[in-house]
Amino acid sequence: MEVLTHLIEGFGYIAGWIPMLAIVTGVIFGILAGAMPGLSPSMGVALLVPFTYALDPSVALILLISIYIAANYGGSITAVTINAPGTASAVVTSFDGYPLTKKGKPGVALGISLIASTVGGIVGTLILIFFSVPLAKVTLQFHPAEYFALAFFGLTTVASLGGKNWIKAFTAVFLGLLLRTIGTEQTGVTRYSFGITELFDGFNLIPILIGLFALSEVFRQFEAHEFEVQRFESGKTHWPSIAEYWRLKWTILRSSIIGTVIGIFPGAGATIASFISYDVSKRMSKHPDEFGNGCPDGVAAAEASNSSSVGGALVPLLTLGIPGSASTAVLIGALMIHDLDPGPRLFETAPEIVYGLFASLLIANFVLLALGLLGSKLWIKVTQVPREVLFPLIFAVSIIGAFAVNNSLFDVITCLAFGILGWLMRRYDFPVAPVVLGIVLGRIAEENFRNAVKMGGYQIFFTRPVSVAILCVAVLSIAIPIIRGLLQKKTPEKNQ
Amino acid sequence: MKKLLYLSLSMCLILSIFSCKRSGNEQFPDRPVKMVVYTAPGGLIDITARKFTDVATKYSDATFVVENRPGAGGVVGMQSVLQAPADGYTIFAGTKSNISFLVGANAAVNSDSLNWMAMLMADPECVITNRNAEIDTWEEVVADAKAHPGEQIWLGPAAGGLDHIMAMKLWEKSGISCKWIPFKSGGAAMTALMGGQGVVYVGNPRDISGKPDLKIAAVSSEERLPQFPDAPTFSELGLSGLDNEIMWRGFAVKKNTPQIALDWYSNLFEKVTGDPDWRSFWEKGGIKVVHYGPEKFRQIIEADRKEFHHYLSSLGLIEPEMQTDPQGAFDIASFELKTLGILMVQILLLALAGIRLKSRLFHYTGRILFPIFFISLSLFFWMLSARFADGDAYGPAVVPRLWAFLLTLCSLILYLKVLAGKESEDPKPGRLDIVLRFIVLLMLYIPAIKFIGYFISTIVFLPVAMWLLGYRNRIAIIVITIAWMLLSYVLFFRILHVALPQGILISQIWQG
Repeated sequence: MEVLTHLIEGFGYIAGWIPMLAIVTGVIFGILAGAMPGLSPSMGVALLVPFTYALDPSVALILLISIYIAANYGGSITAVTINAPGTASAVVTSFDGYPLTKKGKPGVALGISLIASTVGGIVGTLILIFFSVPLAKVTLQFHPAEYFALAFFGLTTVASLGGKNWIKAFTAVFLGLLLRTIGTEQTGVTRYSFGITELFDGFNLIPILIGLFALSEVFRQFEAHEFEVQRFESGKTHWPSIAEYWRLKWTILRSSIIGTVIGIFPGAGATIASFISYDVSKRMSKHPDEFGNGCPDGVAAAEASNSSSVGGALVPLLTLGIPGSASTAVLIGALMIHDLDPGPRLFETAPEIVYGLFASLLIANFVLLALGLLGSKLWIKVTQVPREVLFPLIFAVSIIGAFAVNNSLFDVITCLAFGILGWLMRRYDFPVAPVVLGIVLGRIAEENFRNAVKMGGYQIFFTRPVSVAILCVAVLSIAIPIIRGLLQKKTPEKNQ
Repeated sequence: MKKLLYLSLSMCLILSIFSCKRSGNEQFPDRPVKMVVYTAPGGLIDITARKFTDVATKYSDATFVVENRPGAGGVVGMQSVLQAPADGYTIFAGTKSNISFLVGANAAVNSDSLNWMAMLMADPECVITNRNAEIDTWEEVVADAKAHPGEQIWLGPAAGGLDHIMAMKLWEKSGISCKWIPFKSGGAAMTALMGGQGVVYVGNPRDISGKPDLKIAAVSSEERLPQFPDAPTFSELGLSGLDNEIMWRGFAVKKNTPQIALDWYSNLFEKVTGDPDWRSFWEKGGIKVVHYGPEKFRQIIEADRKEFHHYLSSLGLIEPEMQTDPQGAFDIASFELKTLGILMVQILLLALAGIRLKSRLFHYTGRILFPIFFISLSLFFWMLSARFADGDAYGPAVVPRLWAFLLTLCSLILYLKVLAGKESEDPKPGRLDIVLRFIVLLMLYIPAIKFIGYFISTIVFLPVAMWLLGYRNRIAIIVITIAWMLLSYVLFFRILHVALPQGILISQIWQG
């Protein structure tokens, strides 16, 4: 195994206190950046780029990649503790993580999200190391028709998100899709901007995310007057036992593989991956009703897949020289500043960079585990802060976070508007996550749909086997829950 | 309580002093210079800015801070430069694409409101093909396009951009017609080229570095580029007048920036462009390192603007009517008519619900209003889509209409479910007073950030919010507020360079 020898050399390159210091610094900074709503993983990476000029290129890359990994995990901390997912992919983590916190079991949610992240990150890295070349070939075969099919598949997960309220879930997703049409589209036409400069590119996702989740949750608790601090279930924090983790092994493994594979596709890899893994886990579960009410499998599926997507996103970066995500775009920039051209030749011209990167990915995941365990003890205290103090601080964090995305007060106003909308929607039993899904996938679906039709007519979706296969799975995944829902509705009526 | 008040007041005073700009024009620069980049991190202009700040440290003690202000093809970035004082401490890193966007979008910003100080790079446009494909030379591309008129697929970033215009010029000169497939980014388009989904990608020589499968089939240059000796120029291939098609990158400041600052920059640009590290960094990618001063730069921009106007009009991206309507929004008379139509639908739906539910309507207000709101929103989007409907089966209006239709459909089902009595009643209202109080508080807080600055408004907001929720531990309120102020100041303002507003009123008092 040639790869293994190179990998061992890779560990050799990064043995030493400077690379290790870079990993630890990167992980700490990454966790904090991820936990801060408004600082996405890509911003976290970008913020440290200027500090890497003076560093050796390989150390710089190790530092940045550690931030990337840790920030993906960090997003789950606020999703679990205060229902404020820091990134779009952590939205899914909040589905079950936050209910666990409300039940007085934040330790379970935090513990599982950490372990699932670590395992997901390692699985993703291993797949990257051993299969990046064949996977890159798959990426190249992907036509806009397949990208559209994938986005469509992502959208269909709505059917199971809504449960009995599936019409409301669909209403919410179409609202998100409609709002996503605001802004300049691919042929240069600006839609629905009303002359407002900030709307030329449409709404920013992060302020909407903060509004729909964090603010609307605070408003909801205001109305319900839930000012009691949720004491831990048995008086002290409950952390999951090894047996509890072990029970999740298949969920984590399956979600990690889904996450890596979907993460390869440039665009919204991590987000689609977490929605799809959650959907798949729910379908394969023996007790799907628990999902959404604090099911450990839900947290594990979401976190394993969004962390493993890091490995996937690095596949096109290393093998094709093309960024697979916003964060890898920043990494490419950082590599170029250090006079390295990302792409397949990097394996020959700078093996110490590539294999050092692989080795540091593995180590960074273990460092993340160690620091995450320490940190969790701290994060859990957030759930014990008096509500009268916590709520104003959530407002402060939300507003500075919404502002920091683009240094724009318009985003802060957007955040508040969506906070009010989200609160009202929840009040009338509309789920808010589908709005986010619609906004994330709307543009990808539209661009690829129109490009595919332009390139090969409408028949193209049915003449390409991969596209047909994905579309069939997608249609089934819409149809099955609805049919099942209709059947279930009928049976109890008969019994009565 | 008085002590607290004094403490907080002195605290915000100190913070605003620190965050406000100091004046004093004896020497330039005497504080960090902000360099605004109009894209997200990672693009070539971002790398240009960051590499520049890196090389500049060799020749100057000045500190540069790169700030990414993506949005609206550079308008957001330019606006942030124009909003800052004309003191040379905020500088814009721009490209030819900005000019294209300003021409096409009829945006509120005019490129003349900036002083384009120096053009530093000329990056030749080129035609890139897939080495492994059957068609990989310019002659083969033309022959294939002539054999299948209108079918050959060209890939690239957004339509109406620089690369698209270059493609249109090429089609015009060589008498072919092809399809332009706009991708989200150049990278996505290049992946599609590597996957054999199209024949040609239009970009710059540097795009192929690190990608051995791609090759330059033709390049816009008077002579072959020494870095790519195998790539023929357009004139060699019999296409004249395409020797100087470039993407430029350069720097601008606000108009009326003092001469002392301009001189300092001119001097710095001269030194950086002469730096061997800077030169080799760009030249190995086929980019010509130049230093054109304001005079020449302005002429280039003027010529670009004319050209963009011509091509964007032919693409239908500049409509004559938009010239008279600077907002590019909509025409008022038909807009009012449409609003009236939506209002009628709303009244009709409400009246129907009233007839069906009678007095029970009040128990279902929210359940009824939500679908009506969504239907109105859909109708509004549908009607406005007439502005950009071009009759094309995959044009810009198709997708919004699809979503609007589906949203209406779902909302109608919900509406009918309520009428049929299949929905539960509205939830019992809880403490709506607290919710409303906080919505109002936040609505006051956000404009306050704009006018009196982040720090002063937050030092008021936090204690008020805690107090309103019934928290009475004064010491804790002060400690928490101060802790947050320090955190936001040190972490966000100082370390992360988040440009927290200092307040329009405050900075005016400070400067005046």
